[in-house]
Amino acid sequence: MDFYLGLAQVIGIHSLLGLSAWCVLHTGQVSLAQGGFFAIGAYLAGMLTSMFQWPLGYALATGAVSACAVAIAIGFPALRIKGLMLVVATTAFAEIIRLFFFNFKWRVAGPEGLVGPDGSLGFGGIRYFPANGWSSFELNALIWSLVAMVMVLLAWLDRSRVGTMWRAIGEDELAAQCAGINLTAAKVSAFGIGGAIAGLAGGIFAHYATHIEHGNFGILLATFAIAYPILGGLASLWGTIIAVIFVQGFLLEGLRFLGEWRSLLFGVLIIVVMIIRPSGLLKASLGMRGRLNKAAREPEYRRDQAKSGTTDEVHHA
Amino acid sequence: MLELQQLSRHFGGVKALDQLSFEVRAGDIHGLIGPNGSGKSTTVNLISGVYRPTSGLVKFKGKDLGDLETDRRVHLGISRTFQNIRLFGNLTVWQNIWAARVVRSEGLKGFRERWLSGASRAKEDAELLLSFGGLEDKRDVLASNLAFGEQRRLELIRAAASGSDLLLLDEPAAGMNAEEINDLELRIRELRKLGRTILLIEHHMELVMSVCDRITVLNFGRKIAEGMPGEIQQMPEVKAAYLGSDLPTAA
Amino acid sequence: MDLLDLIDLIQALTDGVLFGTTYALIGIGFTLIFGVMHKINLSYAAASIGAAYLSLVLVNLVPAPIVYLGAALAGGVLGWLIYLICFRFIPLENPLATLMSTVGMLLAIEELISHLTLGMPQNYPALFANSNLEFGSFFLRGDLLFIFFLGCAAMFALTMLLKRTKLGLATRAVAQQATAAQLCGMSVSATNGATFVIAGLLGGIAGSMAGAAIGVLSPLMAMPLTVKGLVVTVIGGLGSIPGAIIAGLMVGGAENLFQFLRGVSERDIYVMLLLFVFLTLKPGGLFAAPGGRD
Repeated sequence: MDFYLGLAQVIGIHSLLGLSAWCVLHTGQVSLAQGGFFAIGAYLAGMLTSMFQWPLGYALATGAVSACAVAIAIGFPALRIKGLMLVVATTAFAEIIRLFFFNFKWRVAGPEGLVGPDGSLGFGGIRYFPANGWSSFELNALIWSLVAMVMVLLAWLDRSRVGTMWRAIGEDELAAQCAGINLTAAKVSAFGIGGAIAGLAGGIFAHYATHIEHGNFGILLATFAIAYPILGGLASLWGTIIAVIFVQGFLLEGLRFLGEWRSLLFGVLIIVVMIIRPSGLLKASLGMRGRLNKAAREPEYRRDQAKSGTTDEVHHA
Repeated sequence: MLELQQLSRHFGGVKALDQLSFEVRAGDIHGLIGPNGSGKSTTVNLISGVYRPTSGLVKFKGKDLGDLETDRRVHLGISRTFQNIRLFGNLTVWQNIWAARVVRSEGLKGFRERWLSGASRAKEDAELLLSFGGLEDKRDVLASNLAFGEQRRLELIRAAASGSDLLLLDEPAAGMNAEEINDLELRIRELRKLGRTILLIEHHMELVMSVCDRITVLNFGRKIAEGMPGEIQQMPEVKAAYLGSDLPTAA
Repeated sequence: MDLLDLIDLIQALTDGVLFGTTYALIGIGFTLIFGVMHKINLSYAAASIGAAYLSLVLVNLVPAPIVYLGAALAGGVLGWLIYLICFRFIPLENPLATLMSTVGMLLAIEELISHLTLGMPQNYPALFANSNLEFGSFFLRGDLLFIFFLGCAAMFALTMLLKRTKLGLATRAVAQQATAAQLCGMSVSATNGATFVIAGLLGGIAGSMAGAAIGVLSPLMAMPLTVKGLVVTVIGGLGSIPGAIIAGLMVGGAENLFQFLRGVSERDIYVMLLLFVFLTLKPGGLFAAPGGRD
């Protein structure tokens, strides 16, 4: 039972990570920086509770807000960089963060000796949960209520003008601008919100893991972060969650018996999914945008297209 | 309403636009014609802010637009369509219109509109535009799945959705058949009746001669003629610019 | 700083620039694929290392130069396989899908290497390892010089290929206007596949060079090589081969310089910062040439 509770916790944390990437991906910016914001949230929240005895809530909030601030700071120069260059720039940024923590040492006297980040040795002793007697079940409750909160927030944003603007920008920036949408505000806000969510996820992760080190926050994590929304389909929030459950739950844990070959299988799985369903597992959203209607009406406008002589040409490589 | 003063735009050594000056009066349907490469699209891009002028001014409602960002110009009252359709392909017809309409409710005025009178006012406007474009039964269709003519109509009403006083239409008739062009003409006239000013860039001479109040003719980035449709058709420079092809008289 | 330190500094710089040919080749590979398909193949560097691993089969059978050739050929084959698996069947309008599929491939290759070699680094043959050109306390390392010239030869061969052959012409045509190229009778999928093969050949050489310079091959090399290669591609300008060459040499030199000045653990921070400096000053890269490459 404990095993499943632990798994649920991991799924919850990764869901938050995936949701943070979903945000940014919507405006058409492919950012591999989510791992960096995750790291900032993790180290900061961990330091605040273990070194300065802050209550968890404040620590998590501070971690999230700081990550948000850094994200906004990054968001502005990111405006000038498009497409694949942004992928590289955000990767480089995440690497800088990781390398920073690789070198970062700050330890203070704690109840059981020195506590704090210790460069390449990592940062251990983030023992808020065990020290305060949190049970596995309570931890899950916390994580999943945060996930629910974030999902409600994002769903609300998506439905509102903000969401429409984000999608429009993701579709065609120039057309969006010419429709009056302020690119800067929209893109930077997406970055910032994504950063905040990632920072929150990182803070929880630090306390869940009790020991973090730079290797946790590498490119692989950033890849997971964007893999979830892409695999799950950008159309809906639930797609991301399902992708996390699928990847973490079935793949990495369920195939435990495959031992060391799991990661290899993960790589292969990504390839297979992308070939079979390039738009993601969940093309038809569960009630998000009425895409199911599209499938129902398909015969209708195929007829129209045939009438007006246009065809749907998809150019394959 | 719109005034171009000595507007120039150079791309390296190429003078796409050379000291262009003309005026568009409020409430007019003003045509901008010229052979390919004469600078028509450059002009539209300069007015909408996609390019910045190398020299010269674009004045809108008496104010120099200067370095203003494109989206700010939309809020001032200039919107445009694109020669090669740029719709939000993966958004539905409704969402395309909504995106342009909803942006208007920004700031204090928008705050009032959104919270006091509710979103209903914006929804009404969007519904009106939907039926104006004849796309009511396609509201949930993805823009990329529309037929070509329907896409052009959507472009038009999306530009109109911004509520702008000046509409820049960049070759809206390209690729259309005669029936669709008649429809287009009706819609343009309708928009003018609703109080919009229109700058129409077009190749399709019959449409231009029929619907425009005044026409400016460009060639090699310069203005070579200006006047009412009847006058333009008689001018030898205009005929020469089109390499001797006879301009059909207005229907 | 006294003379000896200065000499050490120049030594570090020179070694770095010579090694930078490796980065240049990886950068060229990324940029070639981007130029033709407007996509990034994130698994490229990993495949290059993989090709070097494959050439290990030849190590005790043939002299070192043939091993390198083997790596190049293996790289070409791997390149074609990656094209087939990750790109051929995914619709072009989905850049995210191909990006993710190459990520999947990167993971798969890394893991495969780790498993098959049980994570143990493998020795890789180097040429001229012990012969150096000495100028007092400054010396040009023989093995690095060899790598440098090998890299230059590869780049020269590539340029000849692109400018003088039908395939090269097809590559440049497809890069600029795929549909029009098709209408001229060029097969876009064949050209794309060929580009992957060419890039793969270059990558195989790069992988073997990296192995030769460091002396060992290890799966841990894949990620840093990927990141540095991408940095090189971006600094040089996406789609520009001359840019990738210059940027590669520059990044190689800068990397070693930073290592000399600040040590290994901080070195990469400064390399990344260098990238950001470039992005701020020249967002398009050194030779920002969208679609064009000469």
